[in-house]
Amino acid sequence: MPMKGRFPIRRTLEYLRKGDIVFKNRVKIMTVNYNTHGELSEGARKFVFFNIPQIQYKNQWVQVMMFKNMTPSPFLKFYLDDGEQVLVDVEGKDHKHISDHVRKILGKTEEVLQSEAQAKMQESNPANFGPKKYCLRECICEVDGQVPCPGTTALPKEMTGKYRTKMAAAQE
Amino acid sequence: MFQVIGGRSVQAARVLAPRSAVLVEAVRGRKSRTDPVAKSKVGRIKVPPPVDPVEMVVLKERYGEYQMIMRALRLEFKEEMLRKRYEEDTGSLAEERARQEAQEHRVLMDLNHLENQRILKLRIVRVQVEKEEADRKKFEVILQREQEQQEIVKEKEKEILKLQEDVKNFITLENLDQRIEEALDNPKNYNFAIDKQGKVVKQTMLQ
Repeated sequence: MPMKGRFPIRRTLEYLRKGDIVFKNRVKIMTVNYNTHGELSEGARKFVFFNIPQIQYKNQWVQVMMFKNMTPSPFLKFYLDDGEQVLVDVEGKDHKHISDHVRKILGKTEEVLQSEAQAKMQESNPANFGPKKYCLRECICEVDGQVPCPGTTALPKEMTGKYRTKMAAAQE
Repeated sequence: MFQVIGGRSVQAARVLAPRSAVLVEAVRGRKSRTDPVAKSKVGRIKVPPPVDPVEMVVLKERYGEYQMIMRALRLEFKEEMLRKRYEEDTGSLAEERARQEAQEHRVLMDLNHLENQRILKLRIVRVQVEKEEADRKKFEVILQREQEQQEIVKEKEKEILKLQEDVKNFITLENLDQRIEEALDNPKNYNFAIDKQGKVVKQTMLQ
């Protein structure tokens, strides 16, 4: 069977790419403490179930840990690279509010994300020819409608250098 | 300038060189150093390609100039990149940006702190309410228990009173004879009859 789990949409790339929380570079570790039963932890449970996959997809280098039934009330804790710890209390909150709040305090803003995307686009110019690692094409012979590579198919006689020099020499 | 084509470069050079020329240095080819020379190559003497001194001088000069210019350009570009990187990391603009970010971060942390305080207040209130509720329930349970105890005591007292009343009608050794006399004098008839309509008839034949 292709679908696994209760909400298999969480496993689709489209859903994961839709996540909009991209943490600032300073955030290194994210910890979620929540309870498996109880009305107050409901928002936190939903947050863990629906939003954590998106967050981890967008922040592949941030360590995300989940702790269950360790404290009476649920909370999030972020550890930044200068040792600062940010505590976010999520008791009784809805998962949408939690994700909005987290994005507001520790996420990159829209304009920052856009400028970063622009910078990345500028680095890689699609018009450049070069190694496959850095550019799209290596030689003009790879483009549709251009002269095919003389390494694979022989050029017509009129276009070869030796024929042209022979003709030029014969004419003089 | 030239693309390196791996092991084919030597063979290509051999093809392009004139017939009489012979390669000077040893080449990694099919034969090892212990294999004998081929019959067709027995008397072969390798001669390097002839060099025209005038041409060489001119070429050397031109190549030198060209390479110097190229090297200078490369170093210029490298320096530009490094300077840009340095400016970005530790320039005045970068400091400004860092300060701005620190400021914004402080603001956001304060916001978060306020939010936490708000939830803390709500939590304190809720915990208080729950505690009061629990206390009240406990109190009620205690009251209930006490009431039940009291009722049991009352029941017991009633029974004791009833027993005290009954004591008066007990048959003891003293009034044994008297009670026997009374019983013999008043014969009790426990027989009765009942018909289908439910009418009770106590009057029966005395035996």
